[in-house]
Amino acid sequence: MAIPGYHGRVLEINLTTGNIKVEALDAQDVLLYLGGRGLATKLFYDRIEPSADPLGPDNVIVIASSPLVGSQAPTAARGHMVYKSPLTGYIGTSNSGGTWGHTFKATGYDALIIRGRASHPVFIDLSPEKIEILDASHLWGKNVPESTDSLTAGSTPGNLYRALVIGPAGENLVKYAVVANDKNRVYGRGGPGAVFGSKNLKGIRVRGREKITIADEARYRSGVDQAIYLLKQAPITKRLMRELGTAGLILLINVINMLPHRNFLDVNHDEEKLERISGEAIARGYLEKAGSCYLCPIGCQRHTAVKTADGRVRRGEGPEYETTVLMGPVCDVYDLYYIIQANYLANELGLDTVTFGGTVACAMELFEKGYLTPEQTDGLEIKFGRGDLLEKLVDLAAYRRPGLGSLLAEGSYRLAAACGHPELAMQVKKLEIPGYDPRASYAQALGYMTSPTGACHLRGGYAVSLAFFGGTKEIPRFSLLQSPIAIRNMQNTGILQDSLGVCRFTGFSFAIEPWARIVSGITGYDFSTAHLEEIANRIAALERLFNLEAGLKPEEEDVLPSRFSEIPIMSEGKPRAISRENMIQMRRDYYRARGWNDDGRPGESYLREMKIEPKKA
Amino acid sequence: MAPYKWQASEDIFRLFHSIGHASLLYDIQDSHSGNMAMRWKNAQGEEMIVITATGSQKGDLEPNHLCYLSPGETDFGYYKASSETDIHVNILSLPGAQASMHAHVKELIMATLDDQPAPKTPLPFVPVDPLAFYHLGPEIPVDWFAVPSGSPEMAKTIPARLADHPLTIIYGHGAMTRGRTLKETFFNLCLANNAGYIVRLIERQIRSTRAKRQALKTPEKQEKNLVPEAPLPVGQSPELEELRSKIKAAPESHFHFRPTPYNTDIENRCDFPEEDEILKEFRKTGNRLFESRLSPFHTGSMSVRGVDYLLYAPQASMPYEVGGPLLKLPLAPNPGDDTELLLHKKIYAESDFQALIHAYVPEAEAHAHFIYPGEETPIEKIIPVDAEGSFMYLVIPVLPPKFDEARLVSLLHDYRVVVVRGGGVWAAGGLSLSEALHHPSSVREICLYRLAALERGLDLRKMEPEKAKKW
Repeated sequence: MAIPGYHGRVLEINLTTGNIKVEALDAQDVLLYLGGRGLATKLFYDRIEPSADPLGPDNVIVIASSPLVGSQAPTAARGHMVYKSPLTGYIGTSNSGGTWGHTFKATGYDALIIRGRASHPVFIDLSPEKIEILDASHLWGKNVPESTDSLTAGSTPGNLYRALVIGPAGENLVKYAVVANDKNRVYGRGGPGAVFGSKNLKGIRVRGREKITIADEARYRSGVDQAIYLLKQAPITKRLMRELGTAGLILLINVINMLPHRNFLDVNHDEEKLERISGEAIARGYLEKAGSCYLCPIGCQRHTAVKTADGRVRRGEGPEYETTVLMGPVCDVYDLYYIIQANYLANELGLDTVTFGGTVACAMELFEKGYLTPEQTDGLEIKFGRGDLLEKLVDLAAYRRPGLGSLLAEGSYRLAAACGHPELAMQVKKLEIPGYDPRASYAQALGYMTSPTGACHLRGGYAVSLAFFGGTKEIPRFSLLQSPIAIRNMQNTGILQDSLGVCRFTGFSFAIEPWARIVSGITGYDFSTAHLEEIANRIAALERLFNLEAGLKPEEEDVLPSRFSEIPIMSEGKPRAISRENMIQMRRDYYRARGWNDDGRPGESYLREMKIEPKKA
Repeated sequence: MAPYKWQASEDIFRLFHSIGHASLLYDIQDSHSGNMAMRWKNAQGEEMIVITATGSQKGDLEPNHLCYLSPGETDFGYYKASSETDIHVNILSLPGAQASMHAHVKELIMATLDDQPAPKTPLPFVPVDPLAFYHLGPEIPVDWFAVPSGSPEMAKTIPARLADHPLTIIYGHGAMTRGRTLKETFFNLCLANNAGYIVRLIERQIRSTRAKRQALKTPEKQEKNLVPEAPLPVGQSPELEELRSKIKAAPESHFHFRPTPYNTDIENRCDFPEEDEILKEFRKTGNRLFESRLSPFHTGSMSVRGVDYLLYAPQASMPYEVGGPLLKLPLAPNPGDDTELLLHKKIYAESDFQALIHAYVPEAEAHAHFIYPGEETPIEKIIPVDAEGSFMYLVIPVLPPKFDEARLVSLLHDYRVVVVRGGGVWAAGGLSLSEALHHPSSVREICLYRLAALERGLDLRKMEPEKAKKW
């Protein structure tokens, strides 16, 4: 009998052979890895060869649900996907809200494993009644909204189809293509869309009404009550996100000198221009309504509209903070008209807007410095401030148009390397740095350096969020001493949120304690916070182990680009840079805080302690 | 004859000014009350006594409010020294006494009032908290004086008391204390006031539930409890006296551990001056602990953990102007570590916490002794009855004075804050001192609301959320 909160079933589909099998979920995996990110990582690690080509049939995609999904816990409707990233060559681990994650759980499975490669475009049709691999040739080439509409047609009230799809970017194996659900909610970073595309997998349609059981209703309910109360109490989750969306953070981030500008050359902005792209400006000029993922009381979604130059009204979602910053100030663009339309198109074609913005900013700097020539850009003058080019560049990248498009489709590192200047790519492990300048927070810097997926604030630890707690959890921003443990703890909080199936933004209100109560109530097992911390450490170690087995060189790759050592920014009245020595010190302390060896490798005894069995060499 | 002495010494003035200001913040003076004195050698090497001027406002001392006296010429000078100078001079003649201080420790004054006719022979005050019990002694003398301010009688009796005790109580007036430093005298006075406050809180919660408790007891027990073995002075409750007797008989079983003696050797030590942001956090947190009365002056401890070390404030409650030692210590246990430091290290060894605070929150200390009517043993958890407290915590565990330390770590994981009866409040922060600070601060409020509900005759059991009782 399955542990309450789980269905106890894992579905595995081989697209090469068409073989479909259902296995019992190993209870030991649940107790050691919980669900979502943790469970997916374990199932992934057990099945993949670390050397597998990310775009080959041997790459494995694991989608796993969490014990909270299916309950009424706030935001607990998320899905998680693990794969080997074509952008980084290391683990890709991505989380999305929307409705798909919840509906997947309602099909009666806890995890879905996909391997192999179909001979032609297909989609998976999954419900409690059937599992089918169906032809998707008619969808190949269609964008995300078109594909979604096509797959969800025929829904019946109360039993809707939900679709997870890729757009042309995924089909064209763009290394930062996303997988989208609800048209605009994405499994975004590291190129999962390209992995889908490489398997000829256009999408996954789900439908179901399978329910979970709850072992201790009172304990579960007390945690839910507490979580809801705290979400309604904290200013970020009760008001700011709903009114201003994630872009409401732009002015806040600028106040702490953390908002990057011109490919991270500085953090200096004309405040009047910045106001034009703020969450406030979006709310005033473009917002039609706020929206929420399933079961979310926060409501950060932006449903917006923009009137185009030819008088049409285009509708879509966003832009989010990251999109606005990466396509905006990082490219020296302060015009929402361009940013919004480029964002719409990126969503439609299935591109990660963070990597896209970072890649374009890199291209702009390369071009201005003469390293990217007009011949390579097909004559386009890709200079900082050219917001008018953004939409065209989205199209070039998503379709891998010959010339500039194929360069942009590879991400900033490969672009800059092709131009002979890889140091101008603002990335870690080839994943572009999001919209928080690491020089303004050592903990955030260390988070980028040590994130298993490369420079990601969501996997590396969302240290910057500490600035919004009104001081409750604020940590010194420039402390070499405090950052290693702080970022380990932030990363662990993120690992647990991803493994519990809840939104990162709940962290603006509380950390783990209510979740511990909820998951204990649901499962009937005593998941104390201490136990959860141990699980988080285990998951972090397993992700690290995979990366090392996949070839990670910590000495060379757990670092920030030299720009952050060489060019200081001004913050709190002082020049701030992170010297190479400081990086090494923080990194070593971080490894130690994790219980790993000084070379960044979890040692044998630690792995034994964590009950992790490495692959045989 | 010594030269006039009122030329200011910047360091001495700052010390007096900061302690004076802190004593007003801690509400152990009125606007003009109290006095401070210390021995001092001037630049010429002459032995002097520095003492506050009579009638000076201790919260706003100015340089010319300090009088520099030679021990034999206490009336010399333009500004006249305290009317209690003679008492101070005699105290400062005691071996080891380098400083003395008098304050209107209101809570202790209130806790020792009685309505016996004069001349009174008050009983000594018996503290029930570990800080006062161990630092000030199990019995603090209380003396009644016909002229309770600056009298020759006081100049004779008080130094004699202080020869055997660090602090003595002047009935209806305040306390006087001696110390090796002026900070130590202030420390003693804060502990004394805190001890009085705790006793009064316990008395209040006893009185507010006495009728209900009696109603729920069997006739034999009622009779026994209402007729104590020895008659008590009016105003003292038998339940409190029973607690005091038990503590005096076996303090080690009623307190978690014996606090480390007040250390004057490391007063201004700072081992991490280059970490300006963390220093700021320590000072901010220390000041809040003090100003918000979350722990008496220079009590409690706080730490931030590094990878191989911890940054440690062993006298955590410290107003900005006074400060306290800030140490960088190895995370591994050392033979010289005291119990409190070892506990910080043990908790870190078994958790991922980044910050810890141990504070002697008086309201929590008192409320941890609360016994629900109809029950025989003190509470094992504090259930908030206020809106924010109940959602933030639902329950706060209370450990008995002796417990398995692993249990404390486990509870900190689940609740982030734990009250130890006879041992203060332990709070953990996953990321920062600020996060840890929120817990004792909340616990204080939660206890205040519960105590207020009791005083108003409300039934706590009815007010406590049902779900909390099961958690």
